[in-house]
Amino acid sequence: MRAVKALIFGGCSLALAACASAPPSPEALAANDPYEVTNRQTLLFNGKIDRYVVIPTVGIYFLLVAPGGRRGVHNFLGNLSLPTIFVNDLLQGEVTRGSQSAARFLINSSLGLAGFFDPARKMGIPGHGEDFGQTMAVWGAGEGSYLILPFLGPSNPRDAAGLAIDAAIDPTNFIPLKEHLWWSAGREYFTVLDLRGQTYQTIQGIQRSSVDYYGSLRSLYRQLRNTEIRNGRPAAAQDLPDF
Amino acid sequence: MTIKVTLRHVLFALAVAFAGLASAAPAEAATPAEAFVQDNIHVGLDILNNKSLSTDARRTQFANFLLSLTDMKRIADFTLGQYRRGASPADLAAFDAAFQNYAVAVYQSYFAKYAGQTLKVTNSQARTQDDFIVATALIDPNDHSGQAPLEVDFRVRTDSGKLVVTDFSVAGIWLALEERDQFTSFLGQNGGNIHSLISHLSDLAKQYRNG
Repeated sequence: MRAVKALIFGGCSLALAACASAPPSPEALAANDPYEVTNRQTLLFNGKIDRYVVIPTVGIYFLLVAPGGRRGVHNFLGNLSLPTIFVNDLLQGEVTRGSQSAARFLINSSLGLAGFFDPARKMGIPGHGEDFGQTMAVWGAGEGSYLILPFLGPSNPRDAAGLAIDAAIDPTNFIPLKEHLWWSAGREYFTVLDLRGQTYQTIQGIQRSSVDYYGSLRSLYRQLRNTEIRNGRPAAAQDLPDF
Repeated sequence: MTIKVTLRHVLFALAVAFAGLASAAPAEAATPAEAFVQDNIHVGLDILNNKSLSTDARRTQFANFLLSLTDMKRIADFTLGQYRRGASPADLAAFDAAFQNYAVAVYQSYFAKYAGQTLKVTNSQARTQDDFIVATALIDPNDHSGQAPLEVDFRVRTDSGKLVVTDFSVAGIWLALEERDQFTSFLGQNGGNIHSLISHLSDLAKQYRNG
């Protein structure tokens, strides 16, 4: 299901990009954002979905579920992602980080009661993120043009393809659950609630303080992705622009 | 998810980078650039923790400190990107003033949130003979999450023999770079109208000052 979703969104994005009628401006080309017109429209569309559907639902979630419960949901969802993170750790040759992901999964799935608690962190094994978009970057793939995906937000062709691969290798998709559709839908639903609940103030802050929200989001996404790809290691000083 | 968490850090750690809202742990500075950052952390701390000052006086002192520490004109010119070349001297001067006003308001609006944290110089690298990156770690004594401290890097350069800060990054996000992307994107959408950007910056500065 997740793979299908990722492919649909990826397809939508490419289709929308192809439908962009206005030729890209020199500024858009300079920013490696030839689909800027379409991207801005998609960002507006995502904003409406967020405002009228997601935020009210998150509000209800916060009313009904206490902070401890929400933390448990967050931990549980994070634990479900660990097998995929582990695979990507190894594909990037990050053996130490891979062993951390494996240890976290084993500890939190058992002592942490299926991942609702995070005893691994208390044992000094912090979590980290990885995905196949990052793996491809480590292998040398360029990011391609900037994209805003419907429902999913900032991305690029490499990261969008990575989403589909991550979904394909996610072992939870192979669990022979009779009601697999409900499982997947439920997981996605709570992922959205968890993510948006955590980022509500952040997004609001960016929107309020930005001269151009779109430009800000694009810059933040690219810089953060590059930091993630380097696993937090400092960038080469020579890569920075001259002042 | 990692991205979003980091975004939060970025938004609310902006002022820390300059203010050094914290008791910087004494450390041996290996280079002049490191010593510059380390020393100014103490200066910023002294201003912000000076309870004998009124809020307004503390803000003014902090603004003066910030302006003495940074090369605002260089940063402002950088953030205009390709639009700087076509701008008239009068427009550039007006933009520089608006940018300075905006930048000070932005940094000040956040600084109080990070009182009590520690910035410690960890290392540095030279980009060119007069351009350095100084790395520091932001340590929150109340954070027991086990996560590594947030990294705050300063870009320091020698201008006419004087060290000044030109940019800083929080968790890998370089602020001036982000501002340049925003401003040029805004100008691209507004026909390159710098007056429009100046007006927008002034409005945002007022918004920050009014909380």
